Amino acid sequence: MKKNKYIPIFIIQAVMLFVGLIFLNVNSYAQKTASIKVSGVVVDQSENPLPGATIIVHGTTTGVVTDVDGKFQISCAKGSTLDISFVGYKNSSVVANEENVKVILQESFVTLGETVVVGVGYGTMRKSDLTGAIASVGTEEMKKGVISSSEQLLQGKVAGLTVIQGSGDPASGASLRLRGGTSLTASNGPLIVVDGIAGVDINTVNPSEIVSMDVLKDASASAIYGSRGANGVIIVTTNRSNKGKVMQYQGYVAVGSVLKNLDMLSANQWRQYVREKEVTSAVDYGGNTDWQKELEQTAVSHSHSVLFSNSGEKNGFRVSANYLYNEGVIKRTSLDRLGASISGFQYGLKDKLKMEVGLNANVDTWHPLNDLIYERMLNLSPVIPVYNPDGSFTKIGGTKYDNPVEINTNRTADNTRHRVLGYGKIELEIIKGLKAYANGSYEYNSLQTRLYNPSYSVMGASDKGFGQRTLADYTTMQLETYLTYDKKFNEDNKINLMAGYSYLDNTYEGYGAQRKGFDTDLFEYNNLAAGIDYSASDVYSYKGEAKLISFYGRANYNFKEKYMFTATLRRDGSSRFGANHKWGLFPSASFAWRVSDESFMEGTRGWLNNLKLRAGYGVTGNQDGVGEYKSLDILGTGSATYYDGNTQTWKQSYGPTQNSNPDLKWESTAQLNVGLDFSVVGRVNGTLEVYQKKTSDLLYTYAVPQPPYLVGTMLANVGDLSNKGIELSLNANLINKGGFNWDVNLTLAKNIQKVEKLSNQTYECDSINSGSLHGLTGMSGKFSQVIKTGYAVGTFVGPKCTGLDSLGKFILADNGANQVLGDVQPKLSFGFGTNLSYKNIDLEISTYGMLGQKVLNCTAMELSNPKRLPTNNTTDLIYKTGITSSMTYSSYWVEDASFLRIQSVSLGYTLKAPKIGLEKVRFYVTGENLFVFTNYTGVDPEVSIDGLDTPGMDWFNAYPRPRTFSFGINVSF
Amino acid sequence: MRKIKTTIATLTMVLALSACTDLSEKLYDKVSSSDYGKTATEIETIVGSAYASLRGFSDGITISYPTSEFLFFCNETTSDEACIPTRGSDWYDGGRYQDAEMHTWKSDNMLMLSSWRYCYEGISKVNAVIYQVKQSTLSDEEKATVYAELRGIRAYYYYILLDMFGNVPLITNFEDTSLPKNSTRAEVYAFVESELLDILDLLPSEIIYGRFTQNVANTLLARLYLNSEVYIGKARWQDCIDACDKVSGYTLESNYFTNFLTENEVSSEIIFAIPYDYTKQGTVGNYLIALSLHYKQKQAVSASSTFTDCVNGICAQPGVYSMFDDKDVRKKEFFAGDQISKATGSVILMDNGNALSYTEDIANFFNAEQNEGVRCVKYEVKEGQTWEQDHDLVVMRYAEILMMKAECYIRLGSPALARPLVAQVRTRAGLDTPADVTLDFLDDELLREFCFEGLRRTANIRMGTFLKPNWVKTSTDDDYRLIFPIPKYAMDMNSNLVQNPGY
Repeated sequence: MKKNKYIPIFIIQAVMLFVGLIFLNVNSYAQKTASIKVSGVVVDQSENPLPGATIIVHGTTTGVVTDVDGKFQISCAKGSTLDISFVGYKNSSVVANEENVKVILQESFVTLGETVVVGVGYGTMRKSDLTGAIASVGTEEMKKGVISSSEQLLQGKVAGLTVIQGSGDPASGASLRLRGGTSLTASNGPLIVVDGIAGVDINTVNPSEIVSMDVLKDASASAIYGSRGANGVIIVTTNRSNKGKVMQYQGYVAVGSVLKNLDMLSANQWRQYVREKEVTSAVDYGGNTDWQKELEQTAVSHSHSVLFSNSGEKNGFRVSANYLYNEGVIKRTSLDRLGASISGFQYGLKDKLKMEVGLNANVDTWHPLNDLIYERMLNLSPVIPVYNPDGSFTKIGGTKYDNPVEINTNRTADNTRHRVLGYGKIELEIIKGLKAYANGSYEYNSLQTRLYNPSYSVMGASDKGFGQRTLADYTTMQLETYLTYDKKFNEDNKINLMAGYSYLDNTYEGYGAQRKGFDTDLFEYNNLAAGIDYSASDVYSYKGEAKLISFYGRANYNFKEKYMFTATLRRDGSSRFGANHKWGLFPSASFAWRVSDESFMEGTRGWLNNLKLRAGYGVTGNQDGVGEYKSLDILGTGSATYYDGNTQTWKQSYGPTQNSNPDLKWESTAQLNVGLDFSVVGRVNGTLEVYQKKTSDLLYTYAVPQPPYLVGTMLANVGDLSNKGIELSLNANLINKGGFNWDVNLTLAKNIQKVEKLSNQTYECDSINSGSLHGLTGMSGKFSQVIKTGYAVGTFVGPKCTGLDSLGKFILADNGANQVLGDVQPKLSFGFGTNLSYKNIDLEISTYGMLGQKVLNCTAMELSNPKRLPTNNTTDLIYKTGITSSMTYSSYWVEDASFLRIQSVSLGYTLKAPKIGLEKVRFYVTGENLFVFTNYTGVDPEVSIDGLDTPGMDWFNAYPRPRTFSFGINVSF
Repeated sequence: MRKIKTTIATLTMVLALSACTDLSEKLYDKVSSSDYGKTATEIETIVGSAYASLRGFSDGITISYPTSEFLFFCNETTSDEACIPTRGSDWYDGGRYQDAEMHTWKSDNMLMLSSWRYCYEGISKVNAVIYQVKQSTLSDEEKATVYAELRGIRAYYYYILLDMFGNVPLITNFEDTSLPKNSTRAEVYAFVESELLDILDLLPSEIIYGRFTQNVANTLLARLYLNSEVYIGKARWQDCIDACDKVSGYTLESNYFTNFLTENEVSSEIIFAIPYDYTKQGTVGNYLIALSLHYKQKQAVSASSTFTDCVNGICAQPGVYSMFDDKDVRKKEFFAGDQISKATGSVILMDNGNALSYTEDIANFFNAEQNEGVRCVKYEVKEGQTWEQDHDLVVMRYAEILMMKAECYIRLGSPALARPLVAQVRTRAGLDTPADVTLDFLDDELLREFCFEGLRRTANIRMGTFLKPNWVKTSTDDDYRLIFPIPKYAMDMNSNLVQNPGY
């Protein structure tokens, strides 16, 4: 029971805080005046009623929302001021002296986006007050179509944020990378904060519940998350605060098929080759098989979600449930997700106390593939039939030559993942402007895998059946307590202060069991004891824990809405850090100046609606690369058993497994960002950001001399890496007239990455080999890339090929001497979208792309080798190019992978029929991944650039990305 | 005033939460080295890790297994016994095997680096274990006994380094964190000898399979003395004979192949072996069979192809196979000629449609056909085997004692004393022994008896044939090739290291 010894203390402290605050504050609010009941209507300039506008009694939390006809009623003290606000309109206020009022709101296209409230971590800010680089994506801009992973919502929407869906597997997620990577060892993904809870698995939240995602791009914005902020922070806000009664259904049906297959020789081409080359010994099995197509299917997916909520100003609840069946384009793959969430809030203590609790849960079920099928489907000759005449699978046999349809069919693999996120939040106004918050959360993520390879399958034959089950649990408990204080001194000075403490405990544990030698295949993985063969390593369990403790604070100062300053400071302590560096300090400061409000800008008001200059500097960290226990001097068992000749038995040995490193710590990234927000001619908004960031104390597993070191490698903080770049986002409203509206948006980002150094006094490293070619024929232990001072991560190095000679052999320049052949980093990333609507019809097109990144087409390099014939298949490149050489790594296969992807085209129709009780119905058809414009010759130019093993390398094991058409309906009752 | 109090009180309470700042790591499935090694059983498990280190490791930098990649390859493919031909682009791997065959290796060759790291990983582990035992509560006497076995394992690693690299750093103290300097080959030789002599009486005198016993120490001493002329320029033939004579309790197995059975721990001939058990214990690194046989060999082993995938690499150098008399039972260790499918009874066809028939000749070492080169696989091959094998790796066996003694007698001018020793080995192979046992004859017999057991490079050097032209290598090498270069990888990290002369 020691495990949770801090939790009770927390609870006691939280309760103390809470009780103490109430006690001290009990009488501070008491005044009474004559009250008045005001009835009114809110309309726009054209007298159209505005439903959903907010009316708040100034200086209180009392407020109401206008109904469908724009009407409202509110009781307040006579003479008090009513603040009326509505998104897209300028705020207005009236004094409550009369019982009937009419408020006309002025449209404010210019400040659309400026009035948006943006999550900044431990609070929100108006976008207009921001000093850091934060990009927001609202529901309208998010990607449409089949979404099984919420990261996809951001694809092409934020300048500088790369979202790579490396695989079409419905069970796989996307990888995110902001402004280039900052680490060689650790994850380069941003920290995800869901409704104030940091580090949440984004897939705990149903994508349809997400209303906004705010991307904290620069260090001055993300430094409030300290040692977890170096790769940026994405603040996800879900749909918790629906006002009024809402009942919604959202659903779609989608049909997906493979966009592109690799051009392999067909059976006829194979036969032609054999005839032409007079390969008399070639065996023709009489088949006519396209192995890729044999494994593929047309995928039919569907999704449904329902939501009820009933919320007022003082209390409310929300319940939602969703189901997704996402079928994969490879047979037997699919993802089932069943999820639900419930939340509610209520005010008490004269509206000074708000409590909120919520629970999200979902269950994923999917069927993982055996990755071997990708290689096999390209290896097998097209003249081999899939089935024998008697219906059994053909088994020609040979190394890497198993029937992939057999592998995919004769196999049971069922994985499930349970995710639960529960939280409770307390918000207390202590005195006017001073609020205390306490948020507690519990996140549980449990993965179960189940596998059975039957004894009659090729994969299970030598084991006589192989069954396996594993369980891996991750539990995160967090407590955040913080105070905020808002104060206005005369009208010109606004301050906002925040200070807090957080405690995070992360525990992982798991176990697994497997057995072989099943006399019957009937049990599958459900009765492992039926397998009689087992070995010592067939059963295992593990457990580990990490703690993160933080203190943080932020101060904002706003003078005349023209000059804004922000400073933050965070102190993070992690159990994972070495004894000499348990605590790290992460400061930031930023400043913004609304130039357009200066008197000297009077002359520009006609066309320049807003011009704001921002500058910020901050230091953030990345602690993902430091695993648990990595700094310690420990003994482990590993798989090191030994034979004891005395007893003639095998025994477990315990030995040192790593070098201790008490200096181990986070990677530190210092970033300077200068930004410019502007809006001109009332129609065009934009943001330009320029940044420079330098990561130091880069973590890498260095080779160390052995002895004196115990183990030949050691995780240490040594190198430096820099990224600098420029980003532009533009939104323009081209037409807004007579019910016709046309918006376009564009994002552009350029990032230049460079490794600055890899050595210090203790550790010396000239260059690191990466991009392993191990596994390709004749390439064992060979690398295609290098990480070297002065170059970007993932720089290809190899012989330069100048073409093919008349015999079809590669001509290598300089006798095949190694040269730099480009790198995997995109030179320019862009996203372009447009939104057209006319009355009830809307059309949205969204595209994105990258320019200048190189991809090593390993697939073609290995497969375009005529020596593979007649047994193995080749790509039809051997016909198109006449290659006769056997496989050689050279620039020939390092291709420019620039592309433009038509990500989605969505046509919608919205129907409003309040008379029959349907508030709003929207029908849409969406085509996804429709076209890819590229010169890249492989299946897909978008290749994952994560990690050091195979970044930017098109390898066989790529699940093809589907082209999908979906039909959906959203109904609000 | 109240508000100020309120604020102060609240801030105080928020700060009070900061009481939880304990950041020590709690261990669940691992143990801190300072908390372990208290009891005799725990000490035994730590010593066990030194034995486990003999199986080597693979860590992404090198593949340091003694069975095949790359320690075994390093000693075999540089000798006149084995080769790894390049077949198309397969097994080119940056030319590392061509350099081994042609004796053109440089200090960045993976074969040598892997061997170097095999030894130093083991030495580091042994030093750490000695340090750990030193901290324990065992009595000094008990400690000395435990140290003896550990020092023996360490001496075995240093012997390999002495043989392959010569001038290597000697590190014996775990707590010494300075960057080491090279010792001379003579110093390393002296260290190995004195360590072995020093621990001899403390080692177990009985036969304990897989353990470093007195017999193992004496066999290692015999190897040291046998090659003494190469190592330090001073012949010690009689010392070798004396060391051999101290090895007792072993007999030649009547069946040569009993030594190479899957359950070869039954052999009464094996003096020292590195035990493996993949099936029950999950040990890894023991896959020479799969590296040698052809891709389609599985069809010859099993009608249902339930045999490991094989990748068609190392084979016998041309000329080796024909050195075996047809009556020689040891010739059964070769896979030669047509390979017959268990399922169909006919010859297996390769991918190019030709018959899978291993030939002794290799027409072009630099671009060989898939079926060229006979395969030497002495360990048991049977249906159901996986990539990883269960048999133990034979390091020392009694036949070597007989042959070492015989060689010393010949060298000392008493071939008559050598003949009966050689005859024992020959008789077991089903062969007669010539009246005159010459050094040349003995050299050939060493190849036949210990083919593919990792001893050939050392024998070539001792017999003076190592530098001479050998098959595709047509020139004579300079003397410096008798030891390998200190790997560049190690030199890059330690500026105190000096490269061996010539490299």
